[in-house]
Amino acid sequence: MRVLRVVGVIQGYVWSLAKPLAYFGVLWLVFAHLLRTANQTEHFTLFLLIGILLFTFFSDTVGVMLPSIVHGGSILRRLAFPPILVPLSASVGTCITFLVNISALVVFIGIGRVSPRPAWLLVLPLLAELYLFCLGVGLLLGALYVRFRDIGQLWELGVQLLFFASAIFYPIGILPGWAEKVAFVNPFVQIMQDVRHAVLGTSGPNDVTAASVYAGAGGRAIPIALALLIFLGALAFFRREGRYFAERV
Amino acid sequence: MASAIEVAGVSKSFLIPHEQRTYFKEYFLHPFRRTQYERNEALRDVTFSVEAGEFFGIFGPNGSGKSTLLRILAGIYVADAGRVRVNGLLSPFIELGVGFDLELNARDNIRINATLAGLTRRQLDARFDEILEFSELERFVDQKLKNYSSGMLMRLAYSIAIQIPFDVLLLDEVLAVGDESFQQKCFATFERFKVEGKTVVLVTHQLDLLKGFCDRVLLLEHGVVSAVGAPADVIDAPHEGALVG
Repeated sequence: MRVLRVVGVIQGYVWSLAKPLAYFGVLWLVFAHLLRTANQTEHFTLFLLIGILLFTFFSDTVGVMLPSIVHGGSILRRLAFPPILVPLSASVGTCITFLVNISALVVFIGIGRVSPRPAWLLVLPLLAELYLFCLGVGLLLGALYVRFRDIGQLWELGVQLLFFASAIFYPIGILPGWAEKVAFVNPFVQIMQDVRHAVLGTSGPNDVTAASVYAGAGGRAIPIALALLIFLGALAFFRREGRYFAERV
Repeated sequence: MASAIEVAGVSKSFLIPHEQRTYFKEYFLHPFRRTQYERNEALRDVTFSVEAGEFFGIFGPNGSGKSTLLRILAGIYVADAGRVRVNGLLSPFIELGVGFDLELNARDNIRINATLAGLTRRQLDARFDEILEFSELERFVDQKLKNYSSGMLMRLAYSIAIQIPFDVLLLDEVLAVGDESFQQKCFATFERFKVEGKTVVLVTHQLDLLKGFCDRVLLLEHGVVSAVGAPADVIDAPHEGALVG
């Protein structure tokens, strides 16, 4: 029994790795070979992989947090405990998956012969910001889902739009200036571009970060502040709603 | 004696929408329509207290608010008005078998359930065999709970519940599905709780249980306390006659 369970856990992680890699494979084939936009971007493989891994983490984390309150309803109706633990514990699983997925990135970094740099350390606070942003969106949608059971469909639509709006598989430099400014309001775009910049360190027409778009470090604060604001707002909303989860789920 | 539970002026009502509005899109389709609600007053100005070490019974017809009251005592629901104070460690045993994962076997469910209820790993290791022995389900320990009968689920749930340390125990309708021999075992644990000076709040429809074990009982009708007192006085007194088992 125990061996079976261990095998099951390993299989689970293999599959969790398969999903972003499959995405990556398809997009890489289309954009690097069929459309050849890759020529404009140095390290296009890594550029694409970083974007996909980060976005998979974001969409998966929000995706598991969203229904977690409703699915964990039976426990909430039986025991009194802080309901925030339910979505938080759901997010732990996707964090572990993300750590496993990073191993794929390490392999590709090796293949791409990118040498380690001190700037890599910047990735840690950026990932913390990403997690905070995920928690904000996840708590907000999770609490709303208790009231409105079609938030799930709305989120599926939203995640598709975000995927295409987030410059994951195309260089953000191809956007006109005003669109760049709009895109960088989204904390995810800021985080992804900063991670790409920190890891790859390329400077070229596509090495665009919030700092360069909004001209100065002050501009970088816009998406960061938005992430923080969403998180704090979601936390307050979740606390207010949480008192009544047991009778509504 | 200090009181274990103090409930003062507790009211709770639920809003029941006349038309279900659980989809966000309805706010786009009919943005100006106001939802009409009906207010279901589950509890109205409920006041009572339970002494430490008391065996306290609550009974009343279906839908009279017993489970709502218990959930408020357990801190699961928030009262609209009034005050609830519980002195000591409270252990709720509400809604049988909820919190069990039917896809897992009894072994894993005991571990998960007892951990949720507050046992440490060490306490659990020490009491695991006792839990299983009390439930008499050793033969079925590796079976998934979806193949358990409701009686077996209740055995398992109760066996776990009595291993959780508590000062105040809330029991909601637990013995209804157990067989005769298990009921006798449960009664033995009731006696033990009394000797140990534990406070127990028991919700049940079985009048002989109330008479046999409870120091005092409370009759709840339509969300209102209609009588509190010694079992003999409350149960045999003439009332609305809505006591259907």
